[in-house]
Amino acid sequence: MMILVIAEQLDGRLNRASWEAVAAAQQAGGSVKVAVLGAEAAGAASELAAADVAEVLIVDHPALARYTADGYAHAIAGLISAEQPALVFLAHTYQTRDFAPTLAVGLDRALLTDCIGFKAHGEGRAFVRSMFQGKLCADVVPKGPAPHVVTFQIGAFRADAVTRGSVPAPARAVAVTIDAGAIRQKPEAPFKEAKQAVDLSQAARIVAVGRGIKGPEHLAVAEKLAAALGAEMAASRPICDAGWLPMDRQVGSSGQTVAPKLYVALGISGAIQHLVGMKGSNTIVAINKDSDAPIFEVADYGVVGDLFEIVPAFIDALNG
Amino acid sequence: MIETLVLWLLLLISAASFVAQVGKRVRLIAAAQNNFSLDQPAFRIGRFLTDVVFQRKTIVERPLAGVAHALVFWGFVAFAGYTATEFLSGLGLADFTRRGWFHAYRLALAPFAVAVLAGIVYLVIRRAVFRPVALGATLSVGSVVIGLFIATLMATFLLDFRLEEGTLAARVNWWVHALVILAFLMLIPASKHLHLVLSPITVFLKSPVLATVPNLDFEKEEVGLETIKDLRSKQVLDAFTCVECGRCQVNCPAWGSDKALNPKTLILQAQHALLEGRRDAKLAEVFDEGVLWQCTTCGACENQCPVGIEHLPLIIGARRGLVSNGEAAEYLGVVYNHLERRGNIWGLGYDQRQKFVESAGLEIFDRAKHEWLVWLGCAGAFEADFQKGLRSLFDILRASGARFGVLAKERCTGDAAKRTGNEYMFQELATQNIEDLKAAGVKKILTSCPHCLKTLGDDYRRFGFDAEVAHSAVLVAELTRRMPAVTGAREAVTFHDPCYLGRYAGKDAEPRELLIRFGADVKEPERNRTNPFCCGAGGGLLFEEKEKGTRISDVRFKQLRATGAGTVVTACPFCSIMLKGAQASAQAETEFVDLMTFVNGRLQRP
Repeated sequence: MMILVIAEQLDGRLNRASWEAVAAAQQAGGSVKVAVLGAEAAGAASELAAADVAEVLIVDHPALARYTADGYAHAIAGLISAEQPALVFLAHTYQTRDFAPTLAVGLDRALLTDCIGFKAHGEGRAFVRSMFQGKLCADVVPKGPAPHVVTFQIGAFRADAVTRGSVPAPARAVAVTIDAGAIRQKPEAPFKEAKQAVDLSQAARIVAVGRGIKGPEHLAVAEKLAAALGAEMAASRPICDAGWLPMDRQVGSSGQTVAPKLYVALGISGAIQHLVGMKGSNTIVAINKDSDAPIFEVADYGVVGDLFEIVPAFIDALNG
Repeated sequence: MIETLVLWLLLLISAASFVAQVGKRVRLIAAAQNNFSLDQPAFRIGRFLTDVVFQRKTIVERPLAGVAHALVFWGFVAFAGYTATEFLSGLGLADFTRRGWFHAYRLALAPFAVAVLAGIVYLVIRRAVFRPVALGATLSVGSVVIGLFIATLMATFLLDFRLEEGTLAARVNWWVHALVILAFLMLIPASKHLHLVLSPITVFLKSPVLATVPNLDFEKEEVGLETIKDLRSKQVLDAFTCVECGRCQVNCPAWGSDKALNPKTLILQAQHALLEGRRDAKLAEVFDEGVLWQCTTCGACENQCPVGIEHLPLIIGARRGLVSNGEAAEYLGVVYNHLERRGNIWGLGYDQRQKFVESAGLEIFDRAKHEWLVWLGCAGAFEADFQKGLRSLFDILRASGARFGVLAKERCTGDAAKRTGNEYMFQELATQNIEDLKAAGVKKILTSCPHCLKTLGDDYRRFGFDAEVAHSAVLVAELTRRMPAVTGAREAVTFHDPCYLGRYAGKDAEPRELLIRFGADVKEPERNRTNPFCCGAGGGLLFEEKEKGTRISDVRFKQLRATGAGTVVTACPFCSIMLKGAQASAQAETEFVDLMTFVNGRLQRP
């Protein structure tokens, strides 16, 4: 059995979620081939070659210079007929959502979207889909002739679980024919939304400061702690209102919603608008002078006391 | 003879112009879907007497201009018989001008004429020289002309006493008076002076309850107000009644914090669109961009309006139209998600509410055992500071022997959904809550949240739910009347009236009674009691922290701080959240305390 993973790249940079699809394919067993499409696929392909896979396939064609749903669906259909995989795995990215239905309908094959895992089911596999906002999980068995197209929820598999090969996987260019006239979409030049300088939602650790920091001159203490933890700096509204930290570091209902593994709240009282932005954090450590502060209602670890005494001790302990 | 003919001719021209102009407006009102209501006639008559006859709303907020206006108004009424008699005579229909009673009437009118003259001269000077901001950036020349007309009418009336009858001077004087009246008649309909005709009707038709926004009937596929032709008859009448005094404007917290919303502009823009026949114009395009989402529904505009305009049914109606087209403000998307998935505004899990219920030792409501159902609300379930206030309330209730319990499960009452125009979600939440409340056999509800108070106690009435609903300030004021306070020095505090308590429910006396009884020296802020300045949270704006202009909460916090009191007492969870945010941003040390905590801390216990 061979599983074909369709990786995603933009300007030669591999989408991180593609590693998750590779990990899923490796865990499913059998041989794995990874294909990457587009004019600048070579860069992403050399990155993918590090994985323990049978082959990396590069699909380039003038019609793929810019992404279109029809172009991708045609190219992948051609690739599938050439390689004859049993399963096609994709990460459930926005791009996948765009072209995968066209692909599946064009091939007249089953499509399972946004799966979070799979399990053995008789000869084959059942794929697990989360339903009703995660209240139920459904085991779905695709029917009909192979290949079945399966997309995986981002984060369902771990990118760092990919097994690496001892030598780079061989790369091979695959020629496909695409009828440019059949492409209905006419893409404009890519438009990039003004990028938020800081994406706190991706941070694994966050040190957040509130009014208890008293003045911008004391931010250095928090920054040192952040450096010692390898954490991003964040703040509650008053700090950003005062301009001590830029607005894009604000956490809360009007700022970013974060869910890091570790959230250290320094001098943050925990107004509800702040709490709704960070309650999802795995571990919350709060330091505040006021033992009544609402932040202690959500904190896993709380220290009642002066942050200017406690934080330096933390830093010493971390660096010591 | 010639004079009679000329007067007939001029009167016909003037009357035709008046009728044509008023007729156009009446037809527009008649074309709108009828929503005139005459329920609670006794209340309406009482309000007509105080607000129209005795000019209460006109005088209360602006005593000087209000009294001047009242003098002009009463003078006008007094002059009606005089003008009619003179015209009957001038038209050759009947001449009573030589009767004894008419002479007496004329003499009696003299002091009125002097009063009107004094009033109108003051008003013209105020408008033309002092130029109050409420009257707009540009001077209304028409209004000055009308003012001078009125002055001329009074002057000619008084001059008549000094002129010998039958002389040329007397005839000229008579004609000046008559011509001004005829010109006046032509100018009224297209100007704000149409309020002379319409405002008594509009005041009478205004809903007895502030911000009356009836449920949408989904069976009839009602979706709210989308275009000008969707405006209801009262809203069209409102648009033509506006006298442009700007009381709504100067009391509006959005306008007072440099936002685009100006309630007066809103009404005038509707008026212009109606007159221009733009029936299919979308309301969101008739009004300035974004203004519909800048309203906190504090109700100041509607409550202060002296001519009976209801702004909130228009604003919320237009929001409904937008929401039903998927055009709600961006910040509301996440709130609606929270309400839909979790049943509360913050999208939090109800295990937290359960923890609070257990730690506060609350019993689940049992109609055989409990008199009061304490409604916790979203803030009571999740907001730690408000929960402290509730714990104080429970202490007071226990100390006074009140028997109370809570529901095992609550959803948001739907206040945010109702006020932001998401009627479908509001009705879902309301009907489910009512089902639970009825099943539990609840007859009396106590809440510390003024928004829950309005929703449970007024909006839920329209679903046939008729339990008594009280705010904690009101019940506790009554329960503690015979409970002594600890003695000590009076503490200077200021009280921030929540809009939904002071203005909507009219409960401004009870919180003060409590504060004073329990040792406070209340320093009143600017804008208080039944006309407070909003904290900025209402109407879904709790969730919009990226306000245009300055933050409403910052403006209010400044007003509260200016009282010099170190403690602000609040009686609403949303006010408390907003003002604490403003306090934190201002780096101020002001203390905030919930009214219940203030009372509980000073209650003498045996």
